[in-house]
Amino acid sequence: MINDIFNILLPQFCLGIFILIQILCSMFLSPRSYKYSRLISAIGISLSIVLLTTVQTEPQYFGFKGSVMADSYTLLFQFVILLCGFFTVLLTRNLIREKKQNAYTFQAVLLTAVFGAVNIVSANDFLTLFISLELLSFPLYFLICAKKGYYSKEAAFKYLITSAVSSGVFLFGVSYLYGITSSLNFSDIYEIVIERETSLIYVFASVLTVLGLISKLAVFPFANWIIDVYKGCETSVLAFMSTIPKLALFGIICRLLVFPLSSSFELTFVIVLLSLVTALWANTYAIREKNVKVILACSASANASYVLLAASLVSVYNLSTVIFYLICYSLMNIAVFAFLNTAESNSLGDNVEDFIGVFHKNKLLAGSYALSVIALAGFPITSGFVAKIYLFSAIANSGLIFVPFLIALLILTVVALYYYLKLITPMFRKCDGNVLVKMLEATYSQKFVLVFCAILTVLIGVYPEKLIELCRFIAYSI
Amino acid sequence: MEIFLSIPFLVFLPLAASFLIMSPLFTSNEISIRRFAKGVIGFHFAYMILMLIFYNGANPYESQIHFFGLDWIQSLGIKFQFRLDGIGLILTTLTSFVFLLSSISSKINIRKNHKFYYSMLLLLMSAILGIFTSADMFMFFMFWELELIPAYFLIGGDWGIDYSETHKKSAVKFVLFTFLGSMFMLLGILLLHYYNYVTNGILSADFLNIMDNSIPDGIQYLIAVCFLIGFGVKLPIIPLHSWLPDAHTNAPTPVSMVLAGILLKTGAYGIYRFNYQMLSESFMSIAPILAVFALVNIIYTAFVAYTQTDIKRIVAYSSISNMGLILLGLCAYNQLGLSASVFHMVAHALVTSGLFMICGIVYLRCKTRDINSLGGIAQKMPRLFGFATLVVLASIGVPAFAPFVGEILTMISALFSEIGDLLKFVSIFSLPLLIISSCYMLKFLHRGFFGSMSESFEKINDISVHEFIVLASIMAGLIIFGLFPMAVLNLVGA
Repeated sequence: MINDIFNILLPQFCLGIFILIQILCSMFLSPRSYKYSRLISAIGISLSIVLLTTVQTEPQYFGFKGSVMADSYTLLFQFVILLCGFFTVLLTRNLIREKKQNAYTFQAVLLTAVFGAVNIVSANDFLTLFISLELLSFPLYFLICAKKGYYSKEAAFKYLITSAVSSGVFLFGVSYLYGITSSLNFSDIYEIVIERETSLIYVFASVLTVLGLISKLAVFPFANWIIDVYKGCETSVLAFMSTIPKLALFGIICRLLVFPLSSSFELTFVIVLLSLVTALWANTYAIREKNVKVILACSASANASYVLLAASLVSVYNLSTVIFYLICYSLMNIAVFAFLNTAESNSLGDNVEDFIGVFHKNKLLAGSYALSVIALAGFPITSGFVAKIYLFSAIANSGLIFVPFLIALLILTVVALYYYLKLITPMFRKCDGNVLVKMLEATYSQKFVLVFCAILTVLIGVYPEKLIELCRFIAYSI
Repeated sequence: MEIFLSIPFLVFLPLAASFLIMSPLFTSNEISIRRFAKGVIGFHFAYMILMLIFYNGANPYESQIHFFGLDWIQSLGIKFQFRLDGIGLILTTLTSFVFLLSSISSKINIRKNHKFYYSMLLLLMSAILGIFTSADMFMFFMFWELELIPAYFLIGGDWGIDYSETHKKSAVKFVLFTFLGSMFMLLGILLLHYYNYVTNGILSADFLNIMDNSIPDGIQYLIAVCFLIGFGVKLPIIPLHSWLPDAHTNAPTPVSMVLAGILLKTGAYGIYRFNYQMLSESFMSIAPILAVFALVNIIYTAFVAYTQTDIKRIVAYSSISNMGLILLGLCAYNQLGLSASVFHMVAHALVTSGLFMICGIVYLRCKTRDINSLGGIAQKMPRLFGFATLVVLASIGVPAFAPFVGEILTMISALFSEIGDLLKFVSIFSLPLLIISSCYMLKFLHRGFFGSMSESFEKINDISVHEFIVLASIMAGLIIFGLFPMAVLNLVGA
C-alpha cells in the first residue's frame, strides 16, 4: 500500500498535504495575511506537477488492488489539469481579496476540486470514480457561490440539484453494470463483457452511466444549468469550471468508451444524437444573447458536444484528435477568462456593449483576448484552426454515415462565428465622448496567464506537429 | 538569378510588413505609414515582374518550408508547400498590381486609423497571395480562412468617410456567407483527403498527388458539390451572391477595388484548381449544369444592374455578371476556354477597379451616389469624364480593349466545347449580355456625367495627380492587353 502511494500517488498526496496546510493556516493565521493563500496553492500545484515525474507509467501500473491506475494517458491529463489549476489559482487574486477571512478556506476548497479532478482521470474502478467525481463536484458548489450576491447562490443551488440528479443516474447505471458483471473494476468488466453477447440491460446500464457523466459537461438532457451557473460565477472560478471538469470527464469517458462500455453499439448512436442536439441548442441559444458569460457558456457546451461526437466514434485516431482538441481548447478558454477576470477587476460589466473601445485602452491584453476568441472560432494561425481540422477529419474518417452529422456541425460553426464576432467587434469601436477613458489595469499574474496562453495558442497553431505526435503516442498507449 | 526568386518571400513579405506596421514600435505618423506600405507593395510588384521575366514554363517555381526539418503536420501529410505555374503567376502579378493601385488611391479615401488600415490591407494581400501560390489543400484552406479577418475589418471599419452601422452589418454578412462556403469546402477537403488516402494509399494533400479516378463516383460528386458551394459563394454563383452588392457598396473605394478585382477571382481560381484540375471526371458531367448557372449569372444580374440607382451597386452587379462569363469559360473545359477565362479575369480586374475608382472619385466630390441626383459633372471634371468614357467603353466590350478579347474568346470556346450541346445554347443565349451591358454602362455614363448640372456641384474639382496615375495605369493595362492578348494567353498555354 505504501508502495502504491510512492509509485503513482505522490502528486495527489502532495495536493492533499497542501489542502491540510491551507486549512491549518485558516485556523491559525490572521486574516490580514490572506495574500499568502494564493502563494501556498500555487506552490502546492507546481510541486505536484514536479512530482508527476515520479509516477510510474511504463508499463501500466495498477495500485490498490486495481482501483487506481497510471499510464502515460492519465499522466498527460493530470498534467494539463494541474496546469489549468495553476493558472486558475493565479487568477483568484480579486476573489481572495474580497473574501479576506475565508481566503485560506477558499483555496483549500479549490485545491480539493483539483484533487478530485486529478483523481478522476486515474480511476480504474467505478467506486473510485464516483468518489472522485463527488470530490470534484462538492467543492464546486462552494466555488460557484463564492461571489457576492444573489445570482451566485442561485447558480450554486442549481448546480447542486443537477449534480445530484446526474450522480443518481450515474449510480443507477453502475449498479446495473455491477449486477451483470459482479465487479466494479474497469478491466474486469471489460473482460467479462467482450466475451458475452450484448444484452439489453447492458446497453441500458451503459447509456445511464454515460448520461450521468456527460450531464456535467452540459450535454443535452441536463444542459440548461450551464447558463445560470456561468451567469452567477466569478470569472476565475469560470476559468476552472470551463476547463478542469471537462478535461477530467473527457479523460475518463474516453477510457470508459474504450474499455468497459465498448461493446454497446447503441451507445454510440445515443451519444452522437445527444451531442448533435446539444450543438444545435447551444449555438442557437447564443444568437440573441448579449451577456458575455452566457455566450461563453453556450460556446463551452457546443465545444463539449463536438468533442463528445468525435470521442464516441472510438478509434485511436479519434482519441488523439480529442486529446489535441481538449488541450488547445483549455488554453484558449483560460486566456479568454483571464481577460474577463481583468475586465471584472476593472469593474466592466458582463454585457457585450460594456466592452466598447476596450481595444484602445489596452492593446496587448485586448489583442490577446481577440486572438483567443478568434481561435475559438477556428481561424488560422491559431491552434483552434488546426484543432478544428483535426477533430472534424476524425469524424469524416469514421464513415459516410457520419457525413450528415459533420455537415450539421460545420453549419453550426458558422452560427458560432456569429456570436464570437459579437464578442470581439465592440472592442474595436471607438468609445463615445461621454464614456470616461480609463486604461485597463491588470496585475502581473493576469497579464502572465493571458499572454502566455495566447502565445501558446499561436505557437501550437504555427507548429502543431510535436503536440500532435505526442497525442498520437498517448492515444496508442491507452 | 533564380536563387533570389522565392515564393515564401513573395507571400510573407506583406505579412511581415503588416506585423511591422501593427507593432507599437512603428511610427504612428500617417504619411510615413502610407509611404512605407506603398513602398513595400511597389517593391513587391517589381519583384513580381522579375519573377514573370525569369519564368520558365517547363519547370514552375516550387518551394517548401520545413519546420525543424519536418513537414507542417506530418501525421496528416500536410506540407507547407508553394507552387507557382503560369496561371498562378498571372494572378499573383495581377494581385500585386491591383494592390499597388489601391494603396495609391488610399491616400484620398482613408482619413482615419491609418495604422490599422494599412496593416490589414497588407495582411489581406498576403492571404490572397497565399491562396494563389499554395500547393497543398489544407494550406489553401488556411489562407482562404485567413483572408476573412482582414476583409472583415476593411469592409466594416471606420475609415473616416461616412461611417454607419450598415457597414458593419454588410461586413458580418460577408464573413458569414464566406465562412459557410468555406465550411463546405473543408468538408470536401477532408473527404477528398481521406478517400485519396484510402484508395491510392498516399497520405498527402498536395494538388498533384490527388487522383480522383479511383474514388467511388457518388463520393466524387459529393466532394465536387461541396467545393462548388464553397467557391460559389466567393465567385459568386447566383443564389449565393447576396453578400456581394452590400459588401462592395459599403467598403471604401480602395477596398472595393481589391474585393472586385482580386477577391472574386479566388473563387474562380479555386474552381479551376479543385474541380477543373483535380476532380476532372466529375467536373465533365457537372459542367453543363454549371454553365446554366453561369448563364443565369450573366443575364439575370445584367438586368438587375440596369435597375439599380446607386452607381456603386451598378458596378457591383456588373462584376457578378462578368464573373458568370469567367465561369462559362471554365465550364467549356477546353484549352481555349481556360485561357479565355484567365484572360477575362485580368481584363475584368482592371475594368472593375477602374469603375470603382471612378465611383469613388464621384462620391468624394459630389457626396452622393444616386444616379438621379448626379448629372452634368462632365463640365466640371473633363479629365475624369475622359477616363470614365474610356473605361465604360472598355467594359462594354469595344474592340482594342482587353474585355472584348475575353468576352469573345469565352463565347467561342463555349460554342466549340465538346462537353455537350447545352453549352452551345448557353453561349448563344449569353450573347445579349453585350447589349444589356452597354445599356447599364451607358446609363451610368449618361445620367452621371451628361445633362444639366445641379447647383451643388458648382465647386467640385477635377481629379488629382494620384487619381490620374491610377486611372492612367488602368487604361494602359486595358489597351496593352487589348492589343497584345497573347502576352497573357501564352503564359496560360505554357
